[in-house]
Amino acid sequence: MVERRRRRGIEMAIALWMFCAAGETAAQVRGTIVGPGETSLPIAVSPLKSMSGAEREAGTFADIVAKDLDLSGLFRIIDRGAYIESPQQSGVTADTIDFRDWSAIGAQALVKGTVEREGDGLVVEARLFDVVGGKQIGGKRYRAGSDELRRIAHRFADEIMQVLTGERGPFESRIAFASRRKGRFKEIYAMSVDGGDLRAVTRDGSIALAPSWSPDGRSLLFTSFVTGNPSLFMSTLDGAKRLVSSRRGLNLGGRWSPGGRAIAVALENGGGTDIALLDPEGQIMHFVTKDHSIDVSPSWSPDGQSIVFCSDRGGGPQIYAVSAQGGTPRRVTFEGSYNTSPAWSPKGDRIAYASRIGGRFQIFTVAVGGGDVKRITGTRGDNEDPSWSPDGRYLVFSSTRDGSGAIYISDAAGVRQTRLTPPGGDDSSPAWSRWLE
Amino acid sequence: MARSLRFVAVLLMVAAVTVTGCAKKKRITDESAIGDGTGTGAEESLSDRSSLGRYKHGLGPEEDGILKDVHFAYDSYELGASARDVLAANAEWLKENRRARTEIEGHCDERGTVEYNLALGAKRAKAVKDYLVSLGVASERLTTISYGEELPLCRDASEQCYARNRRVHFVPPSE
Repeated sequence: MVERRRRRGIEMAIALWMFCAAGETAAQVRGTIVGPGETSLPIAVSPLKSMSGAEREAGTFADIVAKDLDLSGLFRIIDRGAYIESPQQSGVTADTIDFRDWSAIGAQALVKGTVEREGDGLVVEARLFDVVGGKQIGGKRYRAGSDELRRIAHRFADEIMQVLTGERGPFESRIAFASRRKGRFKEIYAMSVDGGDLRAVTRDGSIALAPSWSPDGRSLLFTSFVTGNPSLFMSTLDGAKRLVSSRRGLNLGGRWSPGGRAIAVALENGGGTDIALLDPEGQIMHFVTKDHSIDVSPSWSPDGQSIVFCSDRGGGPQIYAVSAQGGTPRRVTFEGSYNTSPAWSPKGDRIAYASRIGGRFQIFTVAVGGGDVKRITGTRGDNEDPSWSPDGRYLVFSSTRDGSGAIYISDAAGVRQTRLTPPGGDDSSPAWSRWLE
Repeated sequence: MARSLRFVAVLLMVAAVTVTGCAKKKRITDESAIGDGTGTGAEESLSDRSSLGRYKHGLGPEEDGILKDVHFAYDSYELGASARDVLAANAEWLKENRRARTEIEGHCDERGTVEYNLALGAKRAKAVKDYLVSLGVASERLTTISYGEELPLCRDASEQCYARNRRVHFVPPSE
């Protein structure tokens, strides 16, 4: 397994090298994430050239792009201390850059650009160069408010991944989670994918849990005990919230359909919890499952036609898939005695879930049709509640491997896993948004 | 006046839908009229003594009371022999104190995911309520709520602690 990964990584490095050497504009490398280290593409991310009093922004932009590329696991970021060219004294176009200064420090790719203030806003021009071929292979000009620098940087990191892997990166998105980081109450938080720009979405002094995003990334659904009953709420990121469903008992785990026309939710119904579809106003459209077993944690297929969920209908908790219209569920997982919290990949082909093995919970993925089970997390701590990145190449999940729960991301093969939040906050139930609109 | 009458009418319609359990395909008229989820007045008077009410006041959950806690095996909502013995005694007390109402809280240990454990806690509370009703306690005197793994009695990773947390607790009854 390790051997196969390593070989794949080398193949990719060679492909990247050929791409750079040949100077082709079409991307040669697609899809597969490889591990860090010598197989990753060495890239230099220079601070932007500040054209008019934007020195701080010039550095911040490069910091964010570099951190995103590092998190991707595809790149090795060359330390800024090694750079020979001074950003303020050098050019930002292929004919004014001395590429020998960059190949000398081992860079195969280079990010340079300019930032300037314009009225209340910023204009950023960011460019991606093939150092070996000595040419520009990507470039974008962004005009934005001065508070949107971080978002532009994430967008350009996604653009770099688009150019070099053929698929847009996942960084212009957000991650929500539940946490007790500020006292004993459990509140909902949202942050950037790099762990920055953390903000509290609820300040209710109660128990809020299981957040999920609206398709446009502007609001969150979550369950809160703030009124006593575990009811479903919707909130914008600045905390303006409204009640969606407050039926007696659990109103749990609301998840928007990809098209935004329905909310899948688990409701107490008869003797168990059933998956129901609510309309955007919270009215019941129909029940997807109706029986006495536990049915929880719905997750939509990317085409909105099917729902995967956790049920104990066969005895212990297992993953099942069912038409969003209802019908007989099909069992997806057969290995393991306790499988829960499924998440359907936005690529549509795999389902991530948490499984109890050796008394601990670990993250696995399984083919949508069942079988081809792959283990993502190792043996340390409990790893739970996986959620996919918008590009389907990464997973976010909670883990107790470093103490009380924290939030981690991993590539979909589990090769490189990075902690995003400090331990000690009892963080749980992370949810990765789609790309922000 | 007309407005408050309409509000009552809507409440009654919502209650009818809820009681008959025919929510399938049927549109519930006015979501906001359901209220804040705390239910009837009798339940509100219980809320300060509930595990959630105590948590909001910075107090830990209580273990036992006039009505004793019931315990469960891992990932189970089955009532074992000792659980049925406890519930028989609790049923006797409730039948002697005919006006007492209580809320049945379902709790879980920390193992398993947040959402599954909330559903499991609901199953535990429901199993206990059904058993008490089968022993002759009027169903309308009993409400249920699940706190899943959110309000544990203890937080150490030991089987002894897990076993204490896998329980149904009764909010001290009110008259």
